[in-house]
This record gives sequence, C-alpha cells and structure tokens, in this order.
Amino acid sequence: MKDAMEQVASRDAGSAAEFDIRQYVRLDQMPHFLCPGCGHGIALRALLWAIHDLGLDKDKLAVVSGIGCSGRLSAYVDANSFHTTHGRPLAFATGLALARPDLHVIVITGDGDSLAIGGNHLIHACRRNLNMTCMMLNNEVYGMTGGQVSPTTSAGRLTTTTPAGNSEPVFDACALAAGAGATFVGREVTMQIVALRNLLRDAITHDGFSFVEVMSDCTEIFGRKNDLGSSPEMILSQKSAMRPFAYRNTVDEPFRPNTMPTGVLARHERAEYGAAYREMCARRQDKGAK
Amino acid sequence: MMDTLEIRFSGSGGQGLILAARILAAALVAQGRNVAQSQSYEPVSRGGLSRSDLVISDGEADFPLGGGLDYLLVLDSAAANASDALLGEKSVVLVDAELVPDPPKGAFSTRALPFAETARQLGNRRVANIVALGALAGSGPICDNTALEACLRDMAPAKYADLNVEAFRAGQRLVA
Amino acid sequence: MTQRRNLQGNEACALGAIRAGCRFFAGYPITPSSEVAEAMARELPRVGGTFIQMEDEIASMGAVVGASMGGVKAMTATSGPGFSLKQENLGYACGAEVPCVIVNVMRGGPSTGMPTRPSQGDIMQTRWGTHGDHSIIVLAPASVAEAYSETIRAVNLSETLRVPVVVLLDEVVGHLVETVDLDAIPAGAEVWRKFATGPREGFEPYAVTDDLVPPMPRPGDGYRSHTTGLTHGPSGFPTQVPDQARAAIQRLSDKLDLHREAIESYRTRAIEDAEVLIVAIGITARAAQAAVTDLRAQGVRAGLFRPVTLWPFPEQALRDTVENSGARAVIVPEMNQGQMVLEVERLLAGRAEVHRLNRIDGEVIAPAQIARKAIEVLA
Repeated sequence: MKDAMEQVASRDAGSAAEFDIRQYVRLDQMPHFLCPGCGHGIALRALLWAIHDLGLDKDKLAVVSGIGCSGRLSAYVDANSFHTTHGRPLAFATGLALARPDLHVIVITGDGDSLAIGGNHLIHACRRNLNMTCMMLNNEVYGMTGGQVSPTTSAGRLTTTTPAGNSEPVFDACALAAGAGATFVGREVTMQIVALRNLLRDAITHDGFSFVEVMSDCTEIFGRKNDLGSSPEMILSQKSAMRPFAYRNTVDEPFRPNTMPTGVLARHERAEYGAAYREMCARRQDKGAK
Repeated sequence: MMDTLEIRFSGSGGQGLILAARILAAALVAQGRNVAQSQSYEPVSRGGLSRSDLVISDGEADFPLGGGLDYLLVLDSAAANASDALLGEKSVVLVDAELVPDPPKGAFSTRALPFAETARQLGNRRVANIVALGALAGSGPICDNTALEACLRDMAPAKYADLNVEAFRAGQRLVA
Repeated sequence: MTQRRNLQGNEACALGAIRAGCRFFAGYPITPSSEVAEAMARELPRVGGTFIQMEDEIASMGAVVGASMGGVKAMTATSGPGFSLKQENLGYACGAEVPCVIVNVMRGGPSTGMPTRPSQGDIMQTRWGTHGDHSIIVLAPASVAEAYSETIRAVNLSETLRVPVVVLLDEVVGHLVETVDLDAIPAGAEVWRKFATGPREGFEPYAVTDDLVPPMPRPGDGYRSHTTGLTHGPSGFPTQVPDQARAAIQRLSDKLDLHREAIESYRTRAIEDAEVLIVAIGITARAAQAAVTDLRAQGVRAGLFRPVTLWPFPEQALRDTVENSGARAVIVPEMNQGQMVLEVERLLAGRAEVHRLNRIDGEVIAPAQIARKAIEVLA
C-alpha cells in the first residue's frame, strides 16, 4: 500500500482535489449494482477522472458498453450512454463514431465481451484505427452469469465451467491489440488509480483507436471460488505480478514475476480511419469534377 | 401498342452476353420502350451456363421474365438445349455455327452463323457477342440501328468503340 | 425532362434510401444483395454520407444501429445467412426503438442454400427472426420501381415510428433490371424522427406520448439519456417491475397497431368479381399478374391481392377483398414450403378455401403454373 500512496502523492496530487465524481455519475442510479470489492468501480472512477482532467463536454461524450458486469457501467455515467448487445459495443461505437465524428466515443467492455464473443470486432477496430477509446476491464471471469471461465482466466483457476481447474491458455489482450495494429495500447491495475487515470487521459487524447486493459478483480465470485482472499489482498497480489513496462530490463526480474507489463505498451501514428475515409472520398469527388 | 417481345442471350459465362443484352436494352429505352432484363448464372465468373433475357414492352411488363421467346441467341453448346421449353413456331434461333454443333431443332427457324469466326477475322475473338448482337438486330424489327450503335459506343470500353461498331456491322451483314 | 433508364432492383434500394435521406450504410458482402452495398459505397460520398464494410454481418447491423442512435439515417443489406446473423442486433433496434432499414434479398435456404437462386423462404423469419415479442415492419416490392419507392417508404416509416423496417426482395427482383423514371416516382418530403426538444431536466426518453412514439434524444443536444436493450421504463433505465415491464413491451406493439393505416399497403387487380383470388408477393406476384390476364382471356374470373406491406399483414383488406368479390377459392403461390399461406389461412378460416402452390427448386413460379392451379381448384 505504501508504494501506491507515494505514487498518488508524487504524481498530479493537485487535480485530485478538483475532481468531484458526483459531477460525472448519475446519482439517481445509485446505489450501483457492483459487488463490494469489485475493481470495476475503481476503473470507472479513473475514467471519469481522466474525462474531468481533459475537460470533455458531457453532452458530447458517448459511453458505449456491451453485456456483463462491465456493460452495466455505462448506465452510471452522466453522458450519452448506450448499453448494447453482448460483444458488440465496438461495432455499435464504430457506427456512432463514424456518423458523429464530433462525439468523444468511449467503449467499456470486459474480457468475455471483447475477447470471446466480440473478438472479431476488437481486432478489426484495432486494425481500422477509428477515433475512440476502448477500456477493457479484465477480471478473468464471466461474473454476471455466475463465474464461468473466460479467455483470460489464469491456468488452473476454478470456475463453474472448469471444476477441475482451467486447462486453456489465456489471451494476452494487449499483445492481441498491438498485433492487430492498435496505435495505442496500455495496461494498468486498479490499485494504481493515478497511473490508470494518466493512461486513460493519454488514450482519450490519442488520435485513432486506443485500447486500455484494466486488471480488475472479481472478489465475490472468482476470488471466493479460488480462495484469493479479500479485495485488498487480490489487488495487492495483482500489483506485485505487474511491472511497469519501463522497468522490463531491470535486474530484479528474477525476484519478481515480470510477465504482465503495465503502462503504455504500444503507441504510434497512423491515419485515423474516419479522416482518411473522408479525405479519400473528397479526392475522388475532385477527380470526378475535373 | 406494340407487342411484347422476348429475347434471350445464352451461352457460357465470360462471353459478354449480359453486356450485349444491356446495350440492346439501353437502345430500346432510348426509343421509348420499356425493358425488363434478368439473368441467370452459376456462381462462377467464367464458364458455366449463362443467360440474359429481355422482355420488351410498352409500360411495365406484367411478368418480367417472359415465357415464350421471339429471338434466341446461342453462343455456346452449354446453352444449346437449355431454352427448348420456351421455343415456339414464331421463334427465331441464331446459333454460333462453330461453337454450337448441335443446335435446337423444332418447328422454328434456326440459323447457324459464324459469330466466333467473324470475330477472329476482325482480330479479337471477344467481340463475338457484338457480332451476334448485329445479327440479331438485322434479323427483325427489334431496334433502330443508329440508337444501337450510339449505345454501343457509349457503354463498351472507349478503346474498343470502333472495333465494336465494326463487329456490329459485320454481324448485320451475316443476315443481310 | 424524363430520366428514363434501366436500373437494377438492388441499386434502386440504394438510390431510394439516399433519396429518403439515408446517410450511413454498413454492410458485408453476400450474394445476391452485394449490389446494394456497392451502390451505397459509390453514391453515399457524393451526398456527404458514410459507407463502411464491416468485419461481419453482426457488426454491420451493430454499426447501423449505432449510427442511427447518433441521429443519422442508416441502412444495411444482406441475404439469408447474413440476415440470420443480424437478428440479435435487429432485436435491439426493436427494443430500444432505433430507426433503421434492412434490405434482405431472399435466396434459397436453409443454411448456405442456393446463393444465386431465388426464394421466398424468409417470410416468417422477417416477422419472427429475432427472439422475444416484438413488432417490425416488412415491405415487399415486386418491381424495380417499387424497390425504389418502398425503400423510401421504409426509411420514412422507420423514422416516424422508431422501428426497424425490412425491405424484403427475392433474388429475381433484386437482380432484375427494369426501365424506370425515378423522377416520376413521388418521393414526398423528407421525413425525420421526432427529436427530443424542451427541458433537459426530468427528460424521459421513453415517455408515453399520444402517438406512442417517444421523441428521440440526439447525442450532443444535452439530454444525456441512457439507451439499453434491457426492458426499460420511461426513464430509459432497466426495470423488472411487472407493471412497468408489461407496459413497456405492450407499447411496442400498440405503437404499430395505432399507426396501422399508415403502414399497410397492398395492390389488387381484377378483384371485383373474382371467383378465384391469388395472394402473392414479389416476383411471384408478377407471375400472378400475367396469370390473371391469361385466365380472364379464357373467361376465368381471377383476381390478385398483393400485400406490399407484408408485416403487419393487411388483414382487414384481405378479408374485405374476399368478402366483396365473393371469391370461393384463394391460391397462395410462394417460393417456399408454405409460409405466407399460414397467415392467409388464419385470416380466411371459414370464409374461403385456401390452396397452396409451392416451389422450392430455385426456379420461379411461372404464370402458366398459377393459371393451371386456378382452373384446377375451380373445377
């Protein structure tokens, strides 16, 4: 905990005071339905904090979500919110962002929503590079349906559909996104909320498609089933398993696992899809006029 | 009011049948008539039975697919007998003399004409469809030649315009 | 000046949609509807619209709903297998009341079936394809001119009623080229959904209005409302309170019932004294037109009833037609094993004998086949 407290103090302490989450959530929808200890609330807080810092106009903000625990978050954001179908928020958001380039489109999705049923949409959104931000909450499990195995469930974990332990390998969502061509890819744990906010800020201001994986925790279902302890214990062990990407070559690697880097993992410039499409069309019209 | 006229272009995929039918259809529309054009094809771009039908009428045809052919063009043996059920006494059948060795037989008039041969003599075997279109246009009161030649120049690739008109006229001479 | 030209049915759908103000199209290649997408890709940029070929059929339906939620008129086109894949997001559009148009060009089925051959096998799927109780409008053009005019009507109905509308073609009408003069087809004034206006405070996106069609909030206009596929009350937020759930689901079908007169459309031919009435749509209705002419020439009093709005089926009009003409036999020719006939049998039970005429071999039903059947059932 001390580590995290220091980070909060040292990075951007000032804006924390100005940010009042009540200006960004629908208070009439409280109490929310998330379980005690669920990391999704922290991720939502970090997202709203980033939106606050960037001064985005709530009227121009569109939050699009799919189905699952992550899908319910859009209803709590005081914005234009769209709770769509399972796995398809990126498809809906693609139509919305293309038809309305003036909107800030933010997709909230989960590991099952974006890596299983919606995997095709994720890789093509990465390839296309349409301007939007996708925040994927990875809690390693299908929580809303009662705790079934997901594409990110760690090896050996117990779920209701892997009673003998999970024998499937996992997807590394960030590697998948980067491999599919995403121009901004990042990962953070909920415990590092300031770093997560900073990452989301960078993602939202990135011109093109940005993908941020948030390592969340499902305490009530996944944690309990696998005896992972309370929420603080879960997020602490999560944090110790992560290493900032910048430290990837440091000498302590043999002493700490270094398999899941955090921070900005990929970032490069490529033509934004909507602008490129409109430019191509305009060029063709010009040719036709000659 | 003029009678309804039914014309079928048949052969194998890739012979340019649909383009020939489209050119005739455009010329007929320019002359104030109504055309319904339909095609049937197998899911391959080259080869396989292919046909395009024109039902020419004044106003919208009741049934745009027709049912009794006035004219039938057959450019490939694949299509030789595919239209037998639609032929009657008044039908005029034009077949390629070389590619359709076994033309449909019945109580209608059949003419075997050298479409492919003529196209080769013109230096491009791919204009056989236009030679056939010329022969068709010369076989009866179907469409005004000036309108047809205008559409021919308009709708086919510009670099082939002169060759196409030449092929069209050569086709007309085959039935003159 | 007249603009007579030869136009294909699929392309006419694209031009009709654009004429009605559609400015967004998302699609995926599939025979025999790809020409709709190709025409949209070519034409939309000319009017400032947007075309996108998505990664799959599901995504293209999702993108269309997303664009429409953004306040832009949107359409997609597909055929059997793709239409099956679109059903979940189509249901979302029904439940969340998002205007959109889906062109479905019917090919042989089930499964991959006969991609280049015509069929009318999706008549029931268009009505009940997506799960759960829902209402939907399906329009069935029988000519190229109608593909144009009915797509215009589809866009307009989807806008005024906030409902997905399916334009249902068969492969023959989709690929048929006919001479049309688009300028001579009355398109009417452009129609838009009612956008939300008035106070932001206390705004209810699904409030019950007199016309049962709630004004739709447009992102950016300051309403910041919530849209969900979960059953929702007037606030737009999910509810499972029985009374609220029932009212919400009931309003969706009441909405179409209330506006039935504006939705229903049908054409008839020679029905006044018909002793045998043919009920058909699409290319089969064109064959029936020729059959009626032939039968009349032979002295057989045949007539045609052609639903242009397939769903909701023009119930009263069909009953009235049978009653007023005194027809004793009704024939329902269709390129399937008998789908529309189920509705006709339901409507005419005890009023007239209903006969089936079906074809599932990928060939169209010829006028002579219908005429033979008519003579047979009258004998």
